[in-house]
Amino acid sequence: MTTSSSIAKIPSGGGRIALSTHGGKAWFSELSATYPLKLLSPRISDDVAIVYALTYGGGLVAGDCIHLSVKVECGAKLVLLSQGSTKVFKTRLQQRLSSVQRSLDDTPMGTPSQSQITLQKMDFTISSNGALFLLPDPVTCFRSASYNQIQTFHIAKDTSLVLLDWVTSGRKSLGETWVFSRYYSVNEVVVEGKRIAKDVMLLEDDASESSLSRRLAEKLDPFSCYATLILRGSLVEKTIASLTARYQNISVMQQRIVEDILWSISPIGSDNDGVVIRVAGKETEDVKCWLSEALSPLEDIVGVDVYRMAFHLSYRLCMRANSEN
Amino acid sequence: MDHDETYLLLLLSDSNLPTGSFVASSGFESYIKHGFGAGDSHKTTVFMRDSIGAYARNALPFVSDAHRIVECFRHREKEIDVRDCLQKLTDLDELYDAITLNHVTKRASKSQGVALLTLYSKGFSYPPASSPPGLYLDEETQKKIAVDTKTAMLVTKYKSLVRAETASGNLPICWGILTCALGLSLERSQYLHIFLHARSLLSASVRLNEIGPYNSQQVLLHLSRPIIEAEVSRCKDLRTGIGFDTETLENFDETLHGPANTWPLGEILAARHDQQHSRIFNS
Repeated sequence: MTTSSSIAKIPSGGGRIALSTHGGKAWFSELSATYPLKLLSPRISDDVAIVYALTYGGGLVAGDCIHLSVKVECGAKLVLLSQGSTKVFKTRLQQRLSSVQRSLDDTPMGTPSQSQITLQKMDFTISSNGALFLLPDPVTCFRSASYNQIQTFHIAKDTSLVLLDWVTSGRKSLGETWVFSRYYSVNEVVVEGKRIAKDVMLLEDDASESSLSRRLAEKLDPFSCYATLILRGSLVEKTIASLTARYQNISVMQQRIVEDILWSISPIGSDNDGVVIRVAGKETEDVKCWLSEALSPLEDIVGVDVYRMAFHLSYRLCMRANSEN
Repeated sequence: MDHDETYLLLLLSDSNLPTGSFVASSGFESYIKHGFGAGDSHKTTVFMRDSIGAYARNALPFVSDAHRIVECFRHREKEIDVRDCLQKLTDLDELYDAITLNHVTKRASKSQGVALLTLYSKGFSYPPASSPPGLYLDEETQKKIAVDTKTAMLVTKYKSLVRAETASGNLPICWGILTCALGLSLERSQYLHIFLHARSLLSASVRLNEIGPYNSQQVLLHLSRPIIEAEVSRCKDLRTGIGFDTETLENFDETLHGPANTWPLGEILAARHDQQHSRIFNS
């Protein structure tokens, strides 16, 4: 399923997915990608299609540029997953040289030059009554890595959207805690031409510039995983209502120690534009369990098997984590 | 800095101004309640560092572009379209809304923004009797009054858009409009905005009984100052991409020079403000 006749037209790292429905069944009118991006669709069950977006070698290196463009036609439902955490390897080219360049240019924002940044760009167009469940594993940036992720969602008023974007502090096993050089992620949601949300997150370890700013690890302590979840549309109405009700029941008394998981929910824009949920956890596994429990009503929509694939579920673990939150 | 600017700075830094900032803790109350910095006597300054850094990165691009849009309106010789200017300010406000996804911060931003516009129209515009007929005014003064009158009209129109909920009236945008309308330079406006953020955090800390009033002044004089200076200098050239001509827009890389949320922890804690069992601030 990874090749198609139009492959020659796609530049390196590019990919295209176009999903339609015919007689109540989803089918790909296009599914193609070029190195180092790879798209796999293990199966389709009726109107729900699954695609895994992978990269060769299981990660991205400095200068890699992934550009995936996705079209979901009327009534089709797409579940887009990654296989394992998206690993971003460190910026390799002359770090020193770029820092000299930086001081010469006298730019206030110290960042590696564009060619050393790893870029992942995804454009989604989802037609009326279509649905997208973007449920990747979290991004893990290695020491000194620099990563830009730009995702744009053009959707219709009655589109359902589940957008998960999360990042971990790095390779904990190697003692890496928020030591990448830069993580920049934008999620822009445009409903029939009107922008309702533009979430821009920038995590940058810039303590070398002045002793006045605190290190990224200090600012984000004691959490090692941050997630942003945007939910919108009729398919997730119940999920939104139940999470909102749960949130309204939270009553925080003076804490002596910080909880393992903290989360918040905020309505987006005007009525029924959806919600944004943010979750921070001391362990990535805690966040994963929280998310898989919070989104469990999706099982009825995408099917239990697909849902378990998305979160590589081990239920036993989650029961424990969620009994406390 | 000329005498006019000094006078404006003194006026705008008056803690008695009805700007609504005294009911905002910018997430500090929630930060303490959730157990952050428990037992640490420096938690006010620790929070202040992270909060100023995050606020400057997100808000200064909007202060700067709002100031530039009004500046352009004030000093262009030829008649520039009022509607065009109002549209750009509205776009700026809309972008700030889309970027500020935390409802508690948004609520505080809107109430303080509209308070600033009201302050301008009720408190800072010329009193009706300031230029009685027959009084001799030199040419320069007359010109200044003409520009200020034109700007006052713009601010009044923007305020009615906010009242009609056509525009959102967020704090950074309204601050840019107000300071430019008063004739404060962009550089001073940016600096004062971040200074006031720091000062209001410290007064929240006093009210929360975290630090004493003397300590608060000491922190503001000695510790806040280098932090404010560093963050303003880091963010002073950031932009939003709105109100640009085509050439500026082509050279604008928003991944490097645009607004961004740099402190997701602060964002969650600020949004959880209303979840506190008891609270004394509005944000």
